[in-house]
Amino acid sequence: MATTSEAVPVRPTRPPRSFRSGALTTLLVLPASLWYLILLVLPLAIVVVMSFGLQGKFGGYAPGFTLDNYASAFERLTPFTTSLILAFAGTILCLLAALPMAYFIATRAGSRKSLFIVLLVVPFWTSFLIRTYAWLTILGPDGLGGFIGDAIGDSSFRILGTPWAVLIGVVYGYLPLMIFPIYVTLERMDRTLVEASKDLGAGRWSTFRQITLPIILPGLITGSILVFIPLMGEYVIPAILGYGRVFLVGNQLVLQFLESRNWPEGAARAVVLILIMLVSIIFYLWFANRGRKTREVSVI
Amino acid sequence: MTDQDLDQTIRRMAQTPLSRRGFLWASGLSASAAFLAACGPGASSSASTAPSAAAPSTEGSEAPSASPSAEAVVVEKELLMYNWGDYVDPDNMKAFQEQFGVEKFTYDTFASNDEMMAKFQGGAKGQWDISAPTANFVPAMRDQGFIQKLDLPHVPNASLIDSAFKKQWWDPTDEWQLPKDWGTTGITLRTKVVKEDVKTWKQFFELAPKYTGKIVVVDSPDDVFVAPLKALGYSLNSADPKELEEARGLLMGLAPHVLALDSDQYNTKIATEEAVMGLTWTGGILELRDDPKTADTVYLIPEDGTVFWMDTWVVLADAPHPNAANAFLNFILTPEVQAKETMTNQYATCSSAAKAFIDPKMLADPAIFVPDDVLAKLEGQKDNSGIKQRAEIYEEFKSKIGQG
Repeated sequence: MATTSEAVPVRPTRPPRSFRSGALTTLLVLPASLWYLILLVLPLAIVVVMSFGLQGKFGGYAPGFTLDNYASAFERLTPFTTSLILAFAGTILCLLAALPMAYFIATRAGSRKSLFIVLLVVPFWTSFLIRTYAWLTILGPDGLGGFIGDAIGDSSFRILGTPWAVLIGVVYGYLPLMIFPIYVTLERMDRTLVEASKDLGAGRWSTFRQITLPIILPGLITGSILVFIPLMGEYVIPAILGYGRVFLVGNQLVLQFLESRNWPEGAARAVVLILIMLVSIIFYLWFANRGRKTREVSVI
Repeated sequence: MTDQDLDQTIRRMAQTPLSRRGFLWASGLSASAAFLAACGPGASSSASTAPSAAAPSTEGSEAPSASPSAEAVVVEKELLMYNWGDYVDPDNMKAFQEQFGVEKFTYDTFASNDEMMAKFQGGAKGQWDISAPTANFVPAMRDQGFIQKLDLPHVPNASLIDSAFKKQWWDPTDEWQLPKDWGTTGITLRTKVVKEDVKTWKQFFELAPKYTGKIVVVDSPDDVFVAPLKALGYSLNSADPKELEEARGLLMGLAPHVLALDSDQYNTKIATEEAVMGLTWTGGILELRDDPKTADTVYLIPEDGTVFWMDTWVVLADAPHPNAANAFLNFILTPEVQAKETMTNQYATCSSAAKAFIDPKMLADPAIFVPDDVLAKLEGQKDNSGIKQRAEIYEEFKSKIGQG
């Protein structure tokens, strides 16, 4: 099994720190810590506190303590399972689509490498919402949906409003997020290892499986996490391309916060979502890193 | 470019000092990119500031009380509106901007009253000047301090509102809102496909399985509850748990057959036949009747009853541009402008003075200007936002759309 150059760790010995360097470290770390505290920990704490509260008279939040919100969150788990399935499917599809593309750009593009990177980045300059709306036309009755419907002679054939439309939108929107980490690891990979493997008689597939794949694994992991986590909370694509028929946690949360105005229940569901994602990611990281002989969990 | 070439290029670039020309060129490029991004289509569409020829009926109109009486008032250069989608005629918006020198007119949208209320409850004070909630939401907005009393001396055209729309339960003193328009919620059909003689909400529910996947419903809890409650013969404002449970049964039976809940684009879906049956308003539907391709479209007021709703203009608390808001209210109530609003939005006006300028064909259309005898049988909308059971049923309805 191939090992990378960082495979064998040596416990680093640290020089004793002076007080001044300790103070300096604290000062340097302060901005980031404050940022995390105020913009991450505090809002999270508010959401958790809210999840135990009661609904206000006109909607919103009223102080109180009840576990009813969690009870009702667990009563209807369908949005969670639908989200999990969609997130998995979306991540795997992105992976399958991104790997060949990243491989091509990193190894075969030659002088046009930067051009391809630019082409991948340019769509980000347009609002994501607008691009999603564009898919309404592409997949709609005046576009692909109508074309296929006419071809198979079924006038009520429809792509929009089905899980397929949502998947297409998801892969389109999240593909660059998956391509870039994979591309970066492929770029950095030492190409001579591949040559050596071929010299030693390994075929193309064995080389890929035993040399390339383990090296780019951190990139695959990062890309998957970058896609999976936002995908769990996705709302726009199912609402627009799925016509709201594909009902995910994101849709549920919007419904509760913006229409039913039942913030405590929405908060409870949000907390459940966060817990599900935490568990999934921890499990995924453990699974992906258990083959590596390092103590460090690498996320690029 | 091989790895070594890339390496060398980067090394060379790192060693060359950045010249002033290079810096200016790079910042110019980033600045223009940022400028383009900011000017690009965003969530709020700002009406173009370049004045173009407005419709002749509104340009430079010196209609009665065209400008506010107090001349000392300086109209601000900006107006921020939070409204339903496509609810003000763009030509009227441009004419207003020209007439009062309002350079920036921001039009943000919401899809339902509940969404609007949630925005305000989340703390959106001072973010907009004017909004157009449905009348039954006005008391709640007033009680929670989201709106301010109208500055009526600066809106003299308010006197043009018909007395039939004044002193209503939602605003007995007429100090908090101005009627915008009124309408009904009914059944829209493409009779080319739906051959049955549909006349009631009851039939609507019964036919749902036959036209599964081709039914569109507006995304508004108040309107959605009208259908099952009226089909069962109850008041559409019912808070009775038993009646609401029966309504839930009908709604859950409907949910799997619904194509989408859509308050903005239901007319497009009807036009392309993606949907052939709908629980909708009249906006966008009536013009389909005039188009030969979709002339089979029909909007009907169900015989088992439906809702009579009214939308109102309110000035928001802490409005940053109150003078512009008053100028707009006064402007929109001038008869010619009102008439254009009615003809574009296809909802009935609350000001008879405007009827003189409305196309007689539209005046005679019973779907917009509902005849008095039918009007008498319609039920007004109450403030149902506090009934938790309704919210819970609607949530479940929305989550089951198109499934199973």
